[in-house]
Amino acid sequence: MANKVIYVMYDDDGVLKDGAKKLVSKGIKIADAFSPFPIHGIDPIIGVKNTRLGIMAFIYGLTGLTLATVGMRYFMIVDWPMNIGGKPNFTYLDNILSFIPITFEFTVLCAAHGMAITYLLKNRTLPGMPAQNPDPRTTDDKFVLEIRTADNSIDEKELDELIKDTGYIEIDKKNI
Amino acid sequence: MQKEAAIREPLILGHKTYHDITEDVCRPIEDKAPKMWYILFGIALIVGLYGVGCILYLLGTGVGVWGLNKTIGWAWDITNFVWWVGIGHAGTLISAVLLLFRQKWRMAINRSAEAMTIFAVFMAGLFPLIHMGRLWVGYWVLPIPNQFGSLWVNFNSPLLWDVFAISTYLSVSLVFWYIGLIPDFATIRDRAKKPVAKKMYSILSFGWSGRAKHWNRFEMVSLVLAGLATPLVFSVHSIVSFDFATSVIPGWHTTIFPPYFVAGAVFSGFAMVQTLLLIMRKAMSLEAYIHTKHVEYMNIVIMVTGSIVGTAYITELFISWYSGVEYEAYAFLNRATGPYWWAYFAMMTCNVISPQLMWFRKLRRSLLFTFFISIVVNIGMWFERYVIIMTSLHRDYLPSSWSMHYPSPIDIGVYIGTIGLFFTFFLLFARFFPVLALNEIKSILKGSGQSYKESPDYHKNH
Amino acid sequence: MANTKKYWKGIDELNETKSFQESKESEFSQSNSIESFLADDQLSESSTGRRDFLKFLGFSVAAATVAACEAPVIKAVPYVMKPENVTPGMPTWYASTYYDGASYASILVKTREARPIFIKGNKHFGITKGSVTPPIIASVLGVYDSERIKNPLKAGKKSSWAAVDKEISSAIRNGNKVALISSTVISPSTLSAISELGSAVKGEFEHIQYDAISYSAMRNANELNFGKPFIPSYDFSKAKTIVSINADFLSTWLMPTEFAAQYGETRNPESDGGWMSKHFQFESVMSVAGSNADYRTMTKPSEEEAVLKYILAGLRGMSGTIPSSLKKSADLAIKSLQENGKESLVVCGTNNTGLQQLANEINEHNGANGTTIDLYNELQMFQSEEAKLMNCVKGISSGKYDVVLFYNSNPVYSFPKDELKKALKSKKVKVSVSLNSHADETGALCTYNCPDHHGLESWADYQPKSNHYAIAQPTIRPLHDTADALESFLVWSGKAERGGKDSTVAYDKIKETFSNISGADFKMVMHNSCVDLPQSMIEDSVTFNSVGYAAMPKKPSGTEVIMYQKSAIGSGIHANNPWLHELPDPITKVTWDNYITMNPVEMRKAGYKTTYDQENGLSMAKVTVNGVSVTLPIYPLPGQAPGTVGIALGYGRGGNGEKIGKSAYQTAEYGGYAVSKNGKPASIGANVFPMISTDNDEFYYSNSGKLSNVAGEYIIAATQIHHTVMGRHSIVRETTKEIFDSKGKEAYNPAHTLQTLDDDLNHVEKPVSEFDIWDAHPVENVGHRWGMSIDLSSCIGCSNCLVACQSENNVPVVGKDEVRRGREMHWLRIDRYFASDEEAAVGTKKNKDSFSYDQAEIAALNPKVVHMPMMCQHCNHAPCETVCPVAATTHSNEGLNQMTYNRCIGTRYCSNNCPYKVRRFNWFNYPSYKKFTEINPAQDDLGRMVLNPDVTVRSRGVMEKCSFCVQRIQATKLKSKIDKVPVEDGEFSTACADVCPTNAIVVGDWNDVNSKIRKSSENKRSYQALEEVGIRPNVWYKVKVRNEQNNLLSKLQVEKKSHHGSNNKHH
Repeated sequence: MANKVIYVMYDDDGVLKDGAKKLVSKGIKIADAFSPFPIHGIDPIIGVKNTRLGIMAFIYGLTGLTLATVGMRYFMIVDWPMNIGGKPNFTYLDNILSFIPITFEFTVLCAAHGMAITYLLKNRTLPGMPAQNPDPRTTDDKFVLEIRTADNSIDEKELDELIKDTGYIEIDKKNI
Repeated sequence: MQKEAAIREPLILGHKTYHDITEDVCRPIEDKAPKMWYILFGIALIVGLYGVGCILYLLGTGVGVWGLNKTIGWAWDITNFVWWVGIGHAGTLISAVLLLFRQKWRMAINRSAEAMTIFAVFMAGLFPLIHMGRLWVGYWVLPIPNQFGSLWVNFNSPLLWDVFAISTYLSVSLVFWYIGLIPDFATIRDRAKKPVAKKMYSILSFGWSGRAKHWNRFEMVSLVLAGLATPLVFSVHSIVSFDFATSVIPGWHTTIFPPYFVAGAVFSGFAMVQTLLLIMRKAMSLEAYIHTKHVEYMNIVIMVTGSIVGTAYITELFISWYSGVEYEAYAFLNRATGPYWWAYFAMMTCNVISPQLMWFRKLRRSLLFTFFISIVVNIGMWFERYVIIMTSLHRDYLPSSWSMHYPSPIDIGVYIGTIGLFFTFFLLFARFFPVLALNEIKSILKGSGQSYKESPDYHKNH
Repeated sequence: MANTKKYWKGIDELNETKSFQESKESEFSQSNSIESFLADDQLSESSTGRRDFLKFLGFSVAAATVAACEAPVIKAVPYVMKPENVTPGMPTWYASTYYDGASYASILVKTREARPIFIKGNKHFGITKGSVTPPIIASVLGVYDSERIKNPLKAGKKSSWAAVDKEISSAIRNGNKVALISSTVISPSTLSAISELGSAVKGEFEHIQYDAISYSAMRNANELNFGKPFIPSYDFSKAKTIVSINADFLSTWLMPTEFAAQYGETRNPESDGGWMSKHFQFESVMSVAGSNADYRTMTKPSEEEAVLKYILAGLRGMSGTIPSSLKKSADLAIKSLQENGKESLVVCGTNNTGLQQLANEINEHNGANGTTIDLYNELQMFQSEEAKLMNCVKGISSGKYDVVLFYNSNPVYSFPKDELKKALKSKKVKVSVSLNSHADETGALCTYNCPDHHGLESWADYQPKSNHYAIAQPTIRPLHDTADALESFLVWSGKAERGGKDSTVAYDKIKETFSNISGADFKMVMHNSCVDLPQSMIEDSVTFNSVGYAAMPKKPSGTEVIMYQKSAIGSGIHANNPWLHELPDPITKVTWDNYITMNPVEMRKAGYKTTYDQENGLSMAKVTVNGVSVTLPIYPLPGQAPGTVGIALGYGRGGNGEKIGKSAYQTAEYGGYAVSKNGKPASIGANVFPMISTDNDEFYYSNSGKLSNVAGEYIIAATQIHHTVMGRHSIVRETTKEIFDSKGKEAYNPAHTLQTLDDDLNHVEKPVSEFDIWDAHPVENVGHRWGMSIDLSSCIGCSNCLVACQSENNVPVVGKDEVRRGREMHWLRIDRYFASDEEAAVGTKKNKDSFSYDQAEIAALNPKVVHMPMMCQHCNHAPCETVCPVAATTHSNEGLNQMTYNRCIGTRYCSNNCPYKVRRFNWFNYPSYKKFTEINPAQDDLGRMVLNPDVTVRSRGVMEKCSFCVQRIQATKLKSKIDKVPVEDGEFSTACADVCPTNAIVVGDWNDVNSKIRKSSENKRSYQALEEVGIRPNVWYKVKVRNEQNNLLSKLQVEKKSHHGSNNKHH
């Protein structure tokens, strides 16, 4: 049987969510969903795992913190200590108060940018990347479910039947 | 999506569908710009270019073209810097803090507020650069060893903290803003007819497709960035206030400064947002999305922060007398009764009196009044910085060095110029960028949209 | 110059110190190049390597900056053959003598690569004991004045010496009536050359000596009282009571270079004798002397007679009459004079024979003659003969004279009558010759200009006093084709040939003259620059005999106008010197202008403006005196006697566009000159010489006139626009001799204390110095720690330090427009504080609770004055250092606050955060921005030669400030390193301390427990300005002690047990 991808289009996020529920309960595997805005609660239904970007951000933050601390200690205490306004700079702790603001700023800088870059790379959303949404309207007011026949054991007829009940407005099949 | 009490005033008026929202937001971008836009843009551009001219003259001749002297090393330059940074606080505050607090009403304004923030911080960043005696070696503020070996920067200096704070704030706000923009650029891309526009927006939209997984990551990123940006907002102006708080000059050397400056910043920032949005909603017929409710919310913020600022003024005044320190006491006496009493007077009326009027519901819901007050507040906040910076310096410890400050035409030119540049940028933004966060608005349509609230099946719908 | 002389290269050689003897042996004593020093392997071991590196970094940085700044690249050409006495990088000092017709001093000239760059007093030899005045220090700039005449001129056209000599000498020899008009000539050699010239004349020859400022009345009075016209020597150091009637003996009157030092000795309340002079000043315009007086009384010129007569009567036990306003202080003066008898001195600065006789009578009565007055050592200066000049001028205008020569005098400008000018204009004289260095007012009208050398280019000998002989030696080969006047005279009288630039004519003549005068070794005299002559020079005794008084000043009608001298510009000789123009007047702090001084109290009544700043000018007024009238801004000068106005002489030069110097004219806002009505560059201020009263051929420097309002305002450039210290006791502290003697330190110099808890949690007061928010870098007992102390009691505000600093540290001149914008660049300034009616003494509030800040801003009618030199305090907790983002200003562990120019990015944060506001920012590119270069000799190609090669020329956009003359510290340390001896106390001195006539400034190594500075800083009068800010300065000030009765002050200054409500604790 030919390998097809089916795009089912809805005009309401609620309807799409109910439809997806129905299909999944019938054991249909839904490959993906396209929507103009995040549909809360769709992820568990179609089995999208929660992202770990948050953890990444934390790691980037720690890196920034460390860099800042080590850097300032090296610049001010180790490499070339100078008598600046009589402020003590014999050890890092003597002078730590002056280092707090930049330590904080640098932590935030690294965390924010690190995560943003990871996010873009992970999404493959980069300047000049081609759009992959099946229908331009999915960024406007339409919602699409993507179902691949390859993922599903049941034959196409049954699939169409099931999809009919979900109250879609359009359906589109592509061979791949 | 979470439910919302029906009695709550809807945030989106009229019977809008998702498509209507798209239409409303994209129309100004796709249609030809109205004549008014060209006129405003022309004016802003000319003023901005005049400012650029003044800056070039300044750089070519020397800082002496400003009205500074041996006693007053900072006046309009740093006043403008702090003023712009202050304004630049509303945007991130709205989109970050309000996001954490799940304030839905932010969604109508955060996009343009953030844009304003970024442009304001551009303007702010300009002043520390051009106020340097030798801009061409300005890069020495970065921790890079000098040509003789390891001469690094001085991490004790609040000015250096500023460098890090401002640059971090600017870049993080920029990222936060753009990440939110990507899906909306995608919307415009997918609607665009003209090939040029299509190409441009498809580049800008980074090939966004709106997959469930991407939305999942998107929401996480927004949340974390908001979490990071929130302390950032407070830290930036605190650090700016350290420039003064850590000094020994009476009137600068004040521990109350960090909270006082942050409150002032939010105060002026919201005022500027008001000024801009009240024009924009009319000009771009977005009355349905930005309406009295939003204005009222913002006015409440202005009222609260305004009161904090007022309290700070009074506290300062009291402590200066209570401290019994000769110089401290005189510094504040001089502010109120010295040669620059008028600046102090202007600051007091604009910042302490005017926000109190917001206690009246009628006034805080009146758009015209709000617009007027928003202008007044920003004038007041400029004077606040002028008073703090200039009147503290012009009469400090040794009376032999007491002096007066007279702004030069270049001082004024540069300041007006930055306002021109700011509006140039903002008008370009309003013309080519989605001024509302499409995806967010759509996500709250069902929760807070008027039509849905009115429809009988509102509740059983979910 | 000839190599027959012995040079001595510093105090050491003179004293023949041991270290010098050793270094003399080693052939290459200059081998202490930076390279070799750095190469020293011990250096790497020494713990102080980084510090030294930083210092040398400072030097290399200097070079780097010069290279980096926009100024064009200037090639340095090495010597092909190294001159014997010149070692690149090492200064050579010459002992010489300064005389310009108005002031005299024994000086030391510092030359680098054969260029004189710095002048200071010679503390070891000469009658002036090392004291100088601002014009003397600034005169070094005159050598490089590009407006000097560079070659002889005939009718303004370039000519040659051969040509002009031929014509002039023939004119002189065949002349029937020849006159030489010069300022007082005190050079024996020149005098003999002049007599040679006289004898060469066929017909009649006159030598008329004429000084712009005349002291003839003193000579006349002494002729009446002592039988011969002379001016005696005064010794203020012996005077326990000083009564000065209108004599500014500390800055302009007679011999300030002598008197300032003597006066200083008597102003130390801790002196061995335990006494301190009591100084009474009766004057109208507040002068430098007046500002230092213990009792200053506002006295109109017309009242001086009464004062003197009253004092005389009082001393003789009779009763006199005197205006009530003067009675109190006059009585005190009498009392004090009676107490101190012959140890007192009364001087009168008014040029009126009658008044001078009165002064003589009083001094004779007190027996001062013989103690404070030396009748047998006559002052040779100021032999002005107005009467003769007047006749001569009449003669000239009636065409009687064939030849008139002008030597070092400018009568066309300074002579009150303008006949001479008319006569010269209308060519009433066939041949007129000017030997002045500039084509000035006189020179421009002469047929011939035979420019004389600058003082630093020529040989000269002087006999300032009858028993003192001094020599001036050249310190640079003549820059232009000029000739020594002495030589010219001899050439014209056919006694010598021109010797060109290396001429020895003058040298030989001086040697010859000297051999007739003294038997001393000429080389030794040259080495010391002077020698005292044997007493045999003085003839038999003179006795005082009382005779009837000559005419007293005639009674005035209307406003009394006083023509006074400012310490910098004086009679206008140096009116083209930008350093002197930019020097703030010690009293008014105004630069670049003269003005009408008037008491602000009167001005308010008359509706004149009494406040001014950058944008708000002063009211204009017109003063008319015997037909002559000038329009000037009217300046509020507290202490000006009501009913009088004062105008400074010496201004308004070059009004007809004479080439007297680039900086002698008003500048326009964006460069170039302001133009006056006649289309010529507008001169600075107005000339008031024509206002001098010349009744019975006596120049009387005040006159009755009319003051009338003129519309409009005039913006003046003052470095200080606020005049009181607002009762801020932590800045200025003043007490009286009585309190100082009777009470403890706590009374007049209390320590700042803060409340804290002791171990038992009781509230206790501890001095600020014990509080510290961090454990700071150690500064005590670690290597050197350079410090300075300034005694406000002996500081007289003369401003020598300011000019010396400008000269030593290449401080740019910025011109009037920038000064008015508050951008003068002086590293060292002198804050002048007037007392207000709210203060019992400067800095002490009468009543802390009812203290009115508004009233405190207004100076009293006749205020007490404190001069406070203020420069970088080199704080150990410097607030400027912590805020610099790029570490451009850091602390050396010798206690110096260092400024690294080429690291500075110019944020000005340091200057904002400096409590003393002593940092200066380069707002423009002063060395090359046209607004400054085209009007400013100190910055044109020739003028640049005066720059000190050891000090960086700062580029645009960087901060600068007092460096404690770090270049001198380095030189001293290098020397000691080579000699392998520790730096001796007093071996290093800053430029300001060098030239302080009263030794008010002490510098040295504070860590050296026996050093002068250490002791001075621990003195009970010592305090630190703004100590409570906790910034730990390395500069100490010493409480100003006034020898007066001040009951209110002694009520306020009591020893307290606890310091509740101590001085920094009230509001």
